[in-house]
This record gives sequence, C-alpha cells and structure tokens, in this order.
Amino acid sequence: MIETTVQLLATALALGSAYALTALGFVLIINAVGAVNFAHGDLVMAGGFVAVALSLLVPEGLPVPGLILLPAVLAAMALGGLGLAAVAYVPLRRAPPVSVFISTIAVGLILQHAITLGAGPQPRVGPPLVGDGLVDLLGAALSYQQIATIAVAGILCVAVHTLLNRTRFGRRLRAAAQDPEMARACGIDLRVTVGATFALAGALAGGAGLLLSNQYFVTPTDGAMFMLKAYIATVVGGWGRIWGAAIAALGIAVFEVLVAAAVSYLVAEVLLYLGVLVLLMLRPQGLFGEAEGRRA
Amino acid sequence: MTAGLSRRGLAYAALIAAAGSVLAAVGDDYALRVATLVGIYAIAAIGFQLVFGRLGLLALSQGALFGVGAYALALATVQGGWPPLAGLALSVAVPALAGALVAIPVARLDSHYVALATLGLAQLVLLAVTNLEITGGANGLYGIPPLTVLGVDLADGWQMLAVVWSGVALALACFAWVIGAGRGGRLATLRDAPLAALSLGLDPARARLLVFAVAGALAGLAGALQALGLGVVSPAVARFDVMVTLLAVVVVGGRGSAWGAVVAAMLLVPLPEVFRGLEQAYLLAYGVMLLAAVVALPTGIDGVVRRFLPDLPAPTPPPAAPKSRKISVLRVERIAKHFGGVQALDGAGFDARAGEVTGIIGANGSGKTTLLNIVTGLETADAGVVRLDAIPLLDLKPGARAALGLARGFQHPEVPAGIDVLTAVSVAAGPAAGMAALDRVGLADRARAPATALGPAARRRLDIARALAAGPSVLLLDEPASGLSASERTDLARLLRDLAATGMAIVVVEHGMDFLLPIADRLVCLEAGRVLAAGRTDDVRRDPAVIASYLGEEPA
Amino acid sequence: MTARLDLDGVTVAHAEGVAVDRASFSCAAGEVVALLGANGAGKSSLVRAVAGADPVTGGTIRLDGADITSLRLEHRVRAGIGWCPEGRRLFGGLTVAETLDVAATGTAADRERAAARMLDLFPALADKIDATAWTLSGGQQQMLAIARAVIAEPKVVLLDEPSIGLAPVVLDDVFAAVRRLAGAGAAVVLAEQAVPRALAVADRAVVLRRGVIVLDVPADRIDPGVVASAMLDAGSGGA
Repeated sequence: MIETTVQLLATALALGSAYALTALGFVLIINAVGAVNFAHGDLVMAGGFVAVALSLLVPEGLPVPGLILLPAVLAAMALGGLGLAAVAYVPLRRAPPVSVFISTIAVGLILQHAITLGAGPQPRVGPPLVGDGLVDLLGAALSYQQIATIAVAGILCVAVHTLLNRTRFGRRLRAAAQDPEMARACGIDLRVTVGATFALAGALAGGAGLLLSNQYFVTPTDGAMFMLKAYIATVVGGWGRIWGAAIAALGIAVFEVLVAAAVSYLVAEVLLYLGVLVLLMLRPQGLFGEAEGRRA
Repeated sequence: MTAGLSRRGLAYAALIAAAGSVLAAVGDDYALRVATLVGIYAIAAIGFQLVFGRLGLLALSQGALFGVGAYALALATVQGGWPPLAGLALSVAVPALAGALVAIPVARLDSHYVALATLGLAQLVLLAVTNLEITGGANGLYGIPPLTVLGVDLADGWQMLAVVWSGVALALACFAWVIGAGRGGRLATLRDAPLAALSLGLDPARARLLVFAVAGALAGLAGALQALGLGVVSPAVARFDVMVTLLAVVVVGGRGSAWGAVVAAMLLVPLPEVFRGLEQAYLLAYGVMLLAAVVALPTGIDGVVRRFLPDLPAPTPPPAAPKSRKISVLRVERIAKHFGGVQALDGAGFDARAGEVTGIIGANGSGKTTLLNIVTGLETADAGVVRLDAIPLLDLKPGARAALGLARGFQHPEVPAGIDVLTAVSVAAGPAAGMAALDRVGLADRARAPATALGPAARRRLDIARALAAGPSVLLLDEPASGLSASERTDLARLLRDLAATGMAIVVVEHGMDFLLPIADRLVCLEAGRVLAAGRTDDVRRDPAVIASYLGEEPA
Repeated sequence: MTARLDLDGVTVAHAEGVAVDRASFSCAAGEVVALLGANGAGKSSLVRAVAGADPVTGGTIRLDGADITSLRLEHRVRAGIGWCPEGRRLFGGLTVAETLDVAATGTAADRERAAARMLDLFPALADKIDATAWTLSGGQQQMLAIARAVIAEPKVVLLDEPSIGLAPVVLDDVFAAVRRLAGAGAAVVLAEQAVPRALAVADRAVVLRRGVIVLDVPADRIDPGVVASAMLDAGSGGA
C-alpha cells in the first residue's frame, strides 16, 4: 500500500513539475503584457519536438542525453518565445487584448500543423534525461527518469525564482509587469523586458516539453491540453500570481494521477473541467482572487 | 442605416449569386458538396458573429455546440428512431438551450474567464461524445436516415445545397432580428460602454442569454445539416478544429458582420480541398490567414467593403420628448465606503431637490465620484441611506434605479463603436426620444454620424443625451464641463438650467467654479469623505472652512 | 544663469481636449517652483509632459539648454528628470530595497550607496527596507515614491501632488524633504493643491488656470487673494 502511494506521488510530482514549468511561463506572459498566450501549450509541444530532433543529432549511448540537450532546448525555445512576441504580440501592442488571444490561437495552429507536416502526426519519444535505472524508496521503485524530471524542474523553478527576486534584471521585469509606465520612468526599456519575458516563457515551455517528451511522448496535437491546464492553474492559483499558478499546476497533476489511478484518466479530466466551471460560477474572480498590485 | 446595409447586403447577395451560377454552370458533384459545406459553416459563423462580434465575448463553445447539434440529430434518428425533421428540430433546440445554459455561468465573468469557461465546456462535450457508448464512441453514429419530404430526398445534391443555403438565409434573418429593434445599439453599448449600459438600465445577463441561445441554435442547425448531408457523425464535429474554422471565418469576414462571415466562409471553407492530400495542412493556412487578418486587416472583409459602400444616412425620426416621472427630492444620507484601508466616504450625503441644480465640490480624492457611483448603483455602500422620495434605492440594482428615473453622465464617457449617434443615444429609449435628446444637447445635425467619429466635447454631449433620452427625473453629471471651450460651457450651463426648470433634479460634480457657481442653487463641499459645508451657493462659497479646504489647508 | 529646466510654449492636448495651452516657465538649480492650480487646471498634464509620459503637441522642453521634447520617457531619467507621479504608483509587490535598486543606476556598489543615501534622506523607510510597498503607510509610500524619483540624482525633480491623502504631521516631513532636494542642487517642480504649505517651501509660484499660466511670481511676493481666485477658478470669488 505505502509503496503504491509513494509510486503514485512520484509519478504525480514528475508530471506536476512539468505542468508547473508550463504554468509558470504562461502566467509570466499574462503579467508582463496582460494577454493570454493561447500558443503556450504549442510551445511546450514544440519544445518536445525540438528535443526529439536534437536527440537524433547526438550519438547514441550517451549516459545523460536529455540533460546534455536541455540547454540547447531552452535556448531554441527562448528564441521561439521571442519569435512569438514578434509576430503575435508586438504588432498588436495597442490593440484590444482579445486580438492577442486570436493571434496566439493562430500561432498555435501554425505550430501544430507545421510540425505535423514536418514530423507526422504520430507520437514521438523524446530523449531520456538520464540512463535507465531504479531507486528503491520505502519499497517503491522510482525510476531515475522520474527523479531527474523532478530535480530538473525544481532547479529551473529555483533559477526562475532567483532570477526574479535576486537579480536586478528580474526585479526590473517585475517592476515592468506591475506598472509599465512607472518602470519606463525608472529607465526600464519595455521592449527588453517584454522580449525577455517571452524568451523566458518560451524556454520554460521548452523545458517542460523536454521533460514530458520521454515518459509521456509528444504528439503535435498535445498543445491545447497543456495550454488548458496552465490556464486552469492560473485561474485556480489566482490570476497573475506566479507561484500560485505553479503550485496549482502541481496540484492539478496530483489530482489527475490520483483520480486516474483510482478510477480513470477520463474521469479525472471530466472532474477537472467541471471543477473549473463550478469554480468560475461560484467565485468569478478565481479561487484566491487576483494578484495584488492591480488596485490603485 | 438600413438603406446602407441593404446596399452592402445587395452587393454581397450578388456576389453569392454569381458564385452560385458559376457552380451551376461548371460544378460537379464534388464542387456541390464543397458549396454545401460552405453554407453549413456560414450558418454557424453567423451565430458566432453575434456572440463574438456583437457581444464581444470570445466564447469558444460555438464549435462544440455545432457538435451537439450534429449528435442530437444522430441520437434522435439513429438511437431514438425519430423522423429526421423532428431530429432537426431537436438539434436546434438542444444547442440553443445549451447556449443559454452557458450564458448563465459566463454572465458575470470577465472576458479572459469566459474563454476558459467555454473552452472547458467544449472539452467536456468532446470527452462525452468520444467516450459515451450511446454516441458510438470514437466511431460515432452511422445510418442517419435521409431527410425526405413528399418522397424527395433533400439530403443529397442540389436539394441539399438548396436546404443549406435556405438555412443561411434563415441565419441572416435571425441575425437581423437579434440586432433589430434597437438591440444592435444596446449590444454595442453593453460591449463598449459597460458602465454607461448599467446605469442606463440595460441588462447584460438578459442580452447574453438571448445572444447565446440564438448563436447556439444556429450552431446546432449547422451541425445537424452537416450530419444529415453525410449520414454519419463522428467526434470530429466536436473538435477544436471546427471552432478554429469559425473563428477564422468571423475574423477574416470582419467582426460583427453576418454577410462578411458568409463571404469569408466561401473563401476559407474550400481550402481543405485545395490542400487535399496534405493531411490537415489547411489548418496551417487558416492559422496564417487568421494571424494576417488580425494583424494587417483588423476590420476584415466587411471593413474593406464598407470603405467603398458606406452606410447611407437614414432619415431621422421626428423628435418626441419622453415623459418623466415627477419627484420632489433625492436624499442621500450618511454614506460610508472604504477601499482597503482607505475610508473614501465617511458619512457624506446631500439632498437634490426637483427643479434645482445641486453642485458637489471638493478636492481630489474627497469622494465625489464614489458618491455618484453609490447613488447610481455602480458601487455598493458600506452604510447609509439613499431615498428617492419615499423609495429606498440602495438595495436596488442600477437598472431598477434607472427605471425610477435616475440617469448618469460620466467624466470619461465610453462611446460604442459601429453604431451612429442617434442609435447610441436611443439605447434606453426610442429613436424619437433619442432625437429629442440630441436636439436638446445640440447634436441633432450629427444624428447619423458614427458615434466614434465625435470629438471629446461632442462625446460628452452624447453621454448627456443618452441619459436624457430615458426621461430621467434626476440627472447626475460627473465633471461635465471639463475639456469644454468657453462657448460650450455656456451652452451646457444653459442646458442644465433649462432642464432644472422642467422640474428635473440636477446633480453636478465639478471643479470649474466659474461654471458651477452661476448655475448651482445649492453646493455641497466634501472633504475626506465628509460634508464640510452644504447649503445655498452664496453661503457655502463664503464659508471660511470651504475656502481653506479648497486651498488645501487644514481648517484650524 | 541658464535655467535647469526651461519650458517654452508647451501645449498638451489629449482626448479630453487641450489640457495645457502654451505654458512657459523655467526652474533653476536649487530652486523650488510651486505649480498651483485647481483640480483639472492642467498641473498633472504639464508634469506628465515634462516627465515624458505624454507627448506634447507644441512647444519645447529644455534641460540645461538641450532640447529633450522628443526624448522617450525611459530616456529622460538618464537625461536627468526624476518623476514622482500623482497617486504614487509604487510597484506594489516589490520591497523598499527592491524598488530603490530598480530605480538606481550604476554598479551594485553604486546602487547600494545610493539606497543608503535615500535611507538617510528618508529615515522613515530605514526600518521598512524589506517590507513590500503596498504594506507601507501612506506617508511611507510617499517617501518611497519620492526616493524612487530622486535616487538616480536627477537634475530636475517633478513632484505631482505629494500631499494627497497624508496626515499634517507627515506632510511636514514631505515638504522638508522637498526643500532638502533643492538644497542638494536639484531644480524642483512641485505641483500642489495645498497652497500655503507649497508656498512655504517654494521660491516661486506658477499658477495654472484651465491650462493657461496666469501668474508667475516669487513665492514671497504672492498675493493670497489672487492665488485663491485663480485656484477657485472663479472670476471674483476668493478669500
């Protein structure tokens, strides 16, 4: 019994840490430009495919192929984030927010179908982060892969936290998100902060894609599902609260894995969407309210 | 306006007829099927134009309701053994009901939550049809009987094309009905001027209910026609691809334009056939076109057509002044309101008597606008009483207060896009009353100009006219003179005195003393959420505490 | 002596109409100019235009003789303009230390020294250094907003209604700080409704009435009656 629980929790944490990275990038863009990035899930999917493609380039038999590729995937998807900003956000800076909604839906479609055309619709397996192996914890057998996934996501989260809170650049990103005009008055160039935010969001999505691509495979149609979960996490965690969204994403994964184990994955999904509808009906402002700093 | 619309409508109809005759001349069976599909998507897209274009809500459930319609027909006929015509009726009724049910949870939501809520619903529909046994799971349902009338199979070839395009005509008629009788102006006001809409007594929940139900019915009709034509349904009809197609059609066609949606459907729906053999590459093309349209052509096809065929000015109706209820006094007493740790109002109040102009003055942040918001119901008070004669108002919704005769002008008036001045002013009354109000504020000659073409001073007059059209007994204005030229101020001052002379109670929050002092019968001076002085204008303006406060010094 | 800040015929128009009409005045180093006027007279619009937050529709703004009229908001701070806006507009989720660090310039050591200087100038902030901005009291928030505007040692400091919502005791501190800024060599433009207090620290008073400068005189020679009538915006009203 205890080993099943530990096993399930490890699975949930591994999945949840990838969801958390996804939600983190999603909410960073909401904070920076006030727009929902519908293409965010497709960035995750694209990150998975970048990982798959790169894994074909490295020689086989490396002990830690995924870890070696991680920086390249992060960098490639950071560029992807910048590209998204250039085509879907910058031209619409002054348009109503719904325009960015639509432009990112369009970019998501383009990504999904361009990748389908290029790589085919079938699921692909990404590189494992580390070699095969099992660790025994309280009688449960946890794979190296799960542990490495949790560790990598944890490190990325800590890195984002450090960037945002311990560096001047991160503080300037936060300042620009809270009051763009006053940030400019402090000498901050919004083109830099917005670009950096999209790049960061892209990189996080790429990381999530790499982490998911080995154990869960990656299919060009996966994007919508990743985006939906990040969206739900953002509403549950409190609109605009960065770490609220990340923790909610973790919670969603735990919920999914536990319900899937107890009943079925289908029931987990149905309950998740029903739960969101009920939440929005009862508390239109989200579970924990919207982030501080929107008043005034 | 109607004439211009029919002029564009004629152009669009001619274009569609031309396409139809080309089809008749050279079309094979295959082209026929594509033309049928175009009509089917046009019907659903016209519905989406109401929700997204007219109501301004990105409700991503329209594609799923298309699927609900298709499955309702299939379930009724295949599983229930109903005749196809009855199934068709069901597949219009069920998504209409579902649409109305969607409208209830999203009635109060902000737009970024509407998108998520409707996306969640769409996801639930897809999961249901893919996994339930009764819907045939991933395989769907086969053997939908053909629609036959008097022995003629309507679900095939030219007959089906005729049925579907009759459906398009019906959808256009539905669209015209929903935005008819002044509703188009009300929807535009709800979308672009939500605060003004509330204080004019427009009901956003009712509007959403109607629009969602009609949009759902049209989506369902389209889905059912699709199922009838193919004889099968599969979960593909409920996939997000349908939604994306509708979104692309609506954006490329031009937001809010039903004809634009039809033309855009003619352009976009055949694309999958162009890209045949390349899997779903057509969706890639949709993505590119959607992005290009939203970035480079935000007004869509209809915006371009409108540039060449603008609305012809319609005749204006003869003005007829509305009747207003006679009241004697609006009493506002001991109002308290806090925002976080800040006490914005701390026992403030005033009396506004019929036939008088009551001025409210006070420094920045003394609570003047908050007080107006509480009286008109845009904000709730923590404590206090507001009475119109004997009727307590604080428990009433803004709409009910408007019905009792309260009307409100804003410091920064919101003006709806896509409608003319008279339509914008007539939302809470009829066009005759709107015309009378435009006469009053001196905007009658611009009655048929687009509302958004007005300059700032004229927008303010529009805002006041919109409030006057309903025939208020109390008119509350927030800084009506700011930004006006000297002659405009004189006109406004005369208007307010004239209105007071008709027995209306006028409340004016204003900084411009040269504007306010000559017209105000009484003044109320607020400081830090309390009444510093109140009374006859001449007494208040000589009050030493008022002078000190207005100069920013703490009274001794 | 050339003026630090020199406005020549500055006109600001926005959606609501013309807010400032051909305003000209100047402010020398070490001088405090009180910009007075009723609500809606155009004080904030003028201050925002000088700060670079809104474009001007006419006229020129010079800083030490150099034309900065078309310089973007984010570049004006480097040119030497510090702006403390109406309503404070702090970065609610950042702490005092973070806010100061964001606004300071130079290396980490430079920025630390600058922050220490600000804490000397505004002792009320010293024991709140790790508090997030929105938890501060109104007076502390105002101090932080001013500190944010002056930490980069601007040549010109624009203060927009720093007295709003503050208790009298706190106001004394705020206006004392204003005087210290000028004492340190900055040209200070103080937009205020609290006339007597503003005049007490100002060298000169510039009075705006519906977007037009109607008075520009040394503060000690100002006639309260004239200011009052301009402020009340009434032809004959007054004290």
